[in-house]
Amino acid sequence: MTADLLSLTQWLSPAFPLGSFAYSHGLETTVVQGDVRTASELERWIKDVLQHGAGRVDAILLCQSLKGAEVADLARALAASKERLEESEAQGRAFVETVNAITGAEFAAAPLPVAVGIAARSLSLGPVEVASLYLHAFASNLVSVGVRFIPLGQTEGQQVLSALHATITDIATAASTAALDDIASAAFGADMAAMQHETQDVRIFKT
Amino acid sequence: MLDQAINFTTHGGQPPAKQGRMQRMVGRGAVGLAMRGARPTLTDLHQSGSAKVFLPRVHRDVPELVFLNTAGGVTGGDHLCYDMKIGTGVAAMATTQTAERAYRSTGEVGQVDVSISVGEAGTLSWLPQETILFEGSNLGRRTTVELASDARFLMAESVVLGRAAMGETIESLSFSDWREVRRCGAPVWVDPFAISQKVLDGSESAVTLAGARAFATIALIEQGAEDAADRFRSVIESFDGVVAAVSGWNGKCIIRMRATDAWPLRRAVAQVLKIARQGSLPRVWQE
Repeated sequence: MTADLLSLTQWLSPAFPLGSFAYSHGLETTVVQGDVRTASELERWIKDVLQHGAGRVDAILLCQSLKGAEVADLARALAASKERLEESEAQGRAFVETVNAITGAEFAAAPLPVAVGIAARSLSLGPVEVASLYLHAFASNLVSVGVRFIPLGQTEGQQVLSALHATITDIATAASTAALDDIASAAFGADMAAMQHETQDVRIFKT
Repeated sequence: MLDQAINFTTHGGQPPAKQGRMQRMVGRGAVGLAMRGARPTLTDLHQSGSAKVFLPRVHRDVPELVFLNTAGGVTGGDHLCYDMKIGTGVAAMATTQTAERAYRSTGEVGQVDVSISVGEAGTLSWLPQETILFEGSNLGRRTTVELASDARFLMAESVVLGRAAMGETIESLSFSDWREVRRCGAPVWVDPFAISQKVLDGSESAVTLAGARAFATIALIEQGAEDAADRFRSVIESFDGVVAAVSGWNGKCIIRMRATDAWPLRRAVAQVLKIARQGSLPRVWQE
């Protein structure tokens, strides 16, 4: 159990070479458009993405994948834009390559939540734990994007992340018993921001 | 031209359903089209309950199907189905005669199922008029599309929260709109849009509705569709009162738009469709 938890923590740590720091999930565009300027606005934005957008969708995909469902094609079809697909595919590819290199496994490349679900089948951890840590890594990366780009202080960023813990465990718990038909997104605005990012004049992030 | 360019509305059916009644409205309209020689021909037609299908006499080679829900809307417990089977080599357009209205529900979901298949070298443009969600409505919609390997599909759907021009503000509703397009059985585009009460309560959020009340999603799905993104981009940048975005990738081109009211959105959708269809549009979409 402890060994498995350490493996998962390693896979989902910012030091694991996924290149996550380069993906803002449309947050860069949202900041440029003036919709996120403060720590509290950042918290609200990430919270809504978790509850109503990719957080919830990816958590269900991950849990289904962990339980053995083949959902890589569905995950690709759910991508909201060209860059969103790249964000999910490139990180998933990097994840699988590194996990394969460490463990000697031969996992096939898949979008990130699906790849994490497949790799985590070998761990004796439940879906709530795996999905919580996954969402925490996702939120943590977006906080880091906000801290660097808005910019905010490091402590403010950590306060935002702490404030999201309850949301993260709620979503992971709901996702652990959700069916594929329960996948839903209301992230119309964030999806549009991700599309608009493609033609933004100045871009620091890949998405 | 179709061989059977006839208005079929006089066949079958029941009297229009009335709001507040106990029995459920059920309706199914199904149409099949196939090529007979060089002409698209009606091979299947089914109408029951409140669902009707028109094939208006349109003097061109692309048949236009028009669906109608004679109940005038959908409320809790209703079930409306529209089916389209577009055969090999057929190019067709389909729309609805009026905007669909989702009325207050006492709790149960009103369900609309749209089922489409398009055969080899076939084309369907599914361009229904907007869906208006009224206070207290509870609508579920499921659109499933099966495409053959080189079939082409265009879809435009708009959703409006109440009627701003009538001073309506929506404070409670539930809407779930699952769209799924498969090619040769594999999912290529899945769009599970849903507005829960929680989303509605926080509708100012830039993540979700950004304070808008009219939303459109346009999807062009065909080989090479990603190349169309640049063509649409130049048009959507000129919109007034409508925020729009486009992305093209892997045989898909997706456009999303939002506005504070239905009318500017409808005009914007029509402009995009004019480009996507190169001017050939169902009559209800012609300006």
